[in-house]
Amino acid sequence: MEGGVSELHITQFGIYKITDCADFVFPNTEIKIKRISERVFSYLRKNHDDEIVEKIIPTQSNELTIEICPIRPINYPAKRTSYVYLDLETPIFLSEGSAATIFVRCPVEIGLFLIHDGQKDSLDWFTCDPEHSRFGLYGSPESGTLCKYAKSEIVESYYDSIPFVNGVMEMNIQNELSGGHSISKIIFPITDHSLYYRDSKTIISSLNAVLKKKLTLEVLDISQKSIQTDWVLSPSYESAEPVKRMDMGVD
Amino acid sequence: MFESLQGLGEIEIAGGLTLLSLLIGGIIMGVGFIIARTVRLLFTKYYAPTLPQDTAKNMGKLLYFGILILSFLVFTSSTGVDLSGLLVAGGIFGIVIGFATQSVVSNLISGIFLMIEKPVKQGDSVELPGLDISGTLLDISTFSVRIRRFDGTIIRIPNESFFTSNIRSLTSTPVRRSEVVFGIAYKEDIDAAISVIDKEIRKSLPFVLMIPKPEFRIKELADSSVNIELFVWHPREDWGEVAPVLLKVVKRALDAAGIEIPFPQRVIWQAKE
Repeated sequence: MEGGVSELHITQFGIYKITDCADFVFPNTEIKIKRISERVFSYLRKNHDDEIVEKIIPTQSNELTIEICPIRPINYPAKRTSYVYLDLETPIFLSEGSAATIFVRCPVEIGLFLIHDGQKDSLDWFTCDPEHSRFGLYGSPESGTLCKYAKSEIVESYYDSIPFVNGVMEMNIQNELSGGHSISKIIFPITDHSLYYRDSKTIISSLNAVLKKKLTLEVLDISQKSIQTDWVLSPSYESAEPVKRMDMGVD
Repeated sequence: MFESLQGLGEIEIAGGLTLLSLLIGGIIMGVGFIIARTVRLLFTKYYAPTLPQDTAKNMGKLLYFGILILSFLVFTSSTGVDLSGLLVAGGIFGIVIGFATQSVVSNLISGIFLMIEKPVKQGDSVELPGLDISGTLLDISTFSVRIRRFDGTIIRIPNESFFTSNIRSLTSTPVRRSEVVFGIAYKEDIDAAISVIDKEIRKSLPFVLMIPKPEFRIKELADSSVNIELFVWHPREDWGEVAPVLLKVVKRALDAAGIEIPFPQRVIWQAKE
């Protein structure tokens, strides 16, 4: 979506051209952008606790172009990890040799990018669900992996995400072990995944999870899988860092 | 020119050492010094960034002084200086110096062992309970360790003291635990108190981990209150966001729920005469 009117009241993701002023309304968060003088805009974000973030944005013209889009959920309250821990509210049971494709919700944050000269600079980011944006530890305190933690529900399709709060990810699970197993949690590096948006909904690139045996250990082997979609690809907020893939134990 | 050099070769200073050989030796040492500096510079620029900070620094020193020592050996062999007498004298001198500089040598050896063992690395937050020192490790050098304390001052600790101390690393695990003790009145419902505190922690302390979840243990049925211990886990970097405010959050939750935090009280029974 692209707009270019002088006063905007925006409630969806997209690219917007602001010439005078614009209001963005998200759950728990309001954003106001307005032109305060020639080639200078002000940016103000207020969340439900009345915390305010203010910025002045000098521009090259009397028009400000921004993109509002979902970003990976690893920046609030601080960037500490690249992993996400999805705690499935209903575990999935896979019998021996079976496979399943499910859709799960995964939290997202929202990024604002300033578009100029063909490039996108991150201007600000926030979460619409700060109370559920928390950390969790996978493994022991001595050698475990710190993750962003979220309870996750299994849904029916890509369209079942909660606007601005989470996105939907397709998960292909396969059981190559002898005997049936329940899967109640998935830990994966979210920095491997791309996010796509349409209106106020988000989808996240797919995940392949294979229950298999590595030497004597039973592990859940996770890998990212690209998807073909006509939804818009979100720019990355954080710099991409190589992250080691982790063998998650089956329990 | 050639004649003047020949002339220099004939001027003997001591024990076969001529002015010419001294000049050649000086050139060798000068070249060695330039090579040492260049090698260290190239190492610092191209290889050091790929190594841990401590290792890079020590490798740089090793290369630099190694080349200088090598130059000195080339210098002595090229000038034909007989060092056997010097070695005997040096041996005796070494014993004398050894006794006088025990602590220096001890620090040097401890420094080498610290570099080999690597109990902590540069940038780690450490605590030395025996020395009552805590802070961020700045560097481990030949004779001493420098720590920037949390009050901003820098303290230098001899390597020997550091090596023989108990060292508590505060940042070597991904998470840390903080704990507080609080008391509630005997008349209050313990489960209700735990529930309101748990909710308040989830709401207002974003750095507290959901897994492992906050843990409550009844510590003591004390004189005036039921004392409860609270343990929360958080990312290692965020101790300052959790531990100093944990009691405040507990009190706010108890106050909001109208749960009494008792103060010490004594009931005095007066006998009738």
